[in-house]
Amino acid sequence: MARAQGSGTEGMAYEEARAALAEVVAALESGETTLEEALALWERGEEYARVCEEWLAGAQARLNRVEEAPATASD
Amino acid sequence: MALETSPESPAPVRTVSGLLAEWIGRLGGIWIEGQVAQISRRPGMRTLWITLRDTEADLSLSVVAETTVVDVVTPPLTEGQRVVVYGRPEFYAGRGALQIRAREIRPVGQGALLAELERLRALFQAEGLFATERKRPLPFLPRRVGLVSGRASAALRDVTVNARLRWPAVDFEIREVAVQGVAAVAAIVDALADLNAQPEVDVIVIARGGGSVEDLLPFSNERLIRAVVASRAPVVTAIGHEQDVPLVDLVADLRASTPTDAAKRIVPDVAEETHGIAQGRARARRAVERRIVTDAQEVARLRSAGRRNLRRRIDHGLVDIGHLRARLVALSPAATLDRGYAVLRAQSGAVVRDPREVVAGDRLDARVAGGSFTVGVEESS
Repeated sequence: MARAQGSGTEGMAYEEARAALAEVVAALESGETTLEEALALWERGEEYARVCEEWLAGAQARLNRVEEAPATASD
Repeated sequence: MALETSPESPAPVRTVSGLLAEWIGRLGGIWIEGQVAQISRRPGMRTLWITLRDTEADLSLSVVAETTVVDVVTPPLTEGQRVVVYGRPEFYAGRGALQIRAREIRPVGQGALLAELERLRALFQAEGLFATERKRPLPFLPRRVGLVSGRASAALRDVTVNARLRWPAVDFEIREVAVQGVAAVAAIVDALADLNAQPEVDVIVIARGGGSVEDLLPFSNERLIRAVVASRAPVVTAIGHEQDVPLVDLVADLRASTPTDAAKRIVPDVAEETHGIAQGRARARRAVERRIVTDAQEVARLRSAGRRNLRRRIDHGLVDIGHLRARLVALSPAATLDRGYAVLRAQSGAVVRDPREVVAGDRLDARVAGGSFTVGVEESS
């Protein structure tokens, strides 16, 4: 499966990954890319999107955990 | 009297009476000294009659006085007593009698005394020594209390016993002195100077039981008054008296009604204070508890607001990323790959467009819609 190219996405912050994704989309939209570049950009874009979704899913899970926990005075 | 009369033209009684009343009425107030021969008081009447007899000659005058004038005389007016009466002569037309309308009656002997006191009072008043602004506040808890009072007197005991009841640790510096008679003024003035020389003495009490006007004279003495005025420590007086206030009461920083009252004024009540502190502590605790409850509510409110906000942002983020991914897919070769096409790439990442770009044994990366896999070149053209 498509693994991260150049492993640059490890430990990336959400904002960073999202900005990178937007940048990839903008580069593709410019239409000035060769097929090689388009393929590479696409694969990188997918990776950034995955990072973003993981972040958001993680945040959602943490929020759900906190809200499901019984609300005690000490928490 | 400017009244022309003759047997032929006499003046009627009413005219003579009126003229006499007018003439006598012009005499004004006079001080008269005499002896009370008789007092006629009738129940329910607001005025009474006194027969005032000359102390030597057998002469007398009728004195009429309101009961309010007579009732304030101390000691109470009795027959045979020598008095000084201040009053206006007036003509009682109904009976054609001359009488003195009394405004004030003083037992003789005290007259001069009271006049002297009055002179001193006026003097101190003019100097402003009675002014409220001069009064100093007493310390809340004096380090040491100076006490000037009669030797082994009830006043001394009342002050010390009652002060100790309120505040057991109260520290007294006691000066037992003569509080009446010729030596009293000097003794009290010395005691005041002595106590004022001790820096620890934060308040001084001058206490004495009740007494007659003569007994209390030292407490209106000018030298004593000046010493109290000059005192470094605030002075509390506790001097029993029936009628006239001794002048020292008026210059003292605080005038207690009795020695027991003085004890209450100089030290706080330990039980009361303890109670006050306990109350204060309980109130402080309740205030903190209330504060904790409101703060906890605020924290809960902020927390749920924060969670709502975070959830909203996550949802927006998911939608946002979904849109970006959709554009990414739309712009990428994904759609082409979906139709079954594959892209071959050399190890360098370059897309293979011509068989001449590969040789047998090359390993190429094949990208299809679902992902990548590696293919080997078996034969090249």
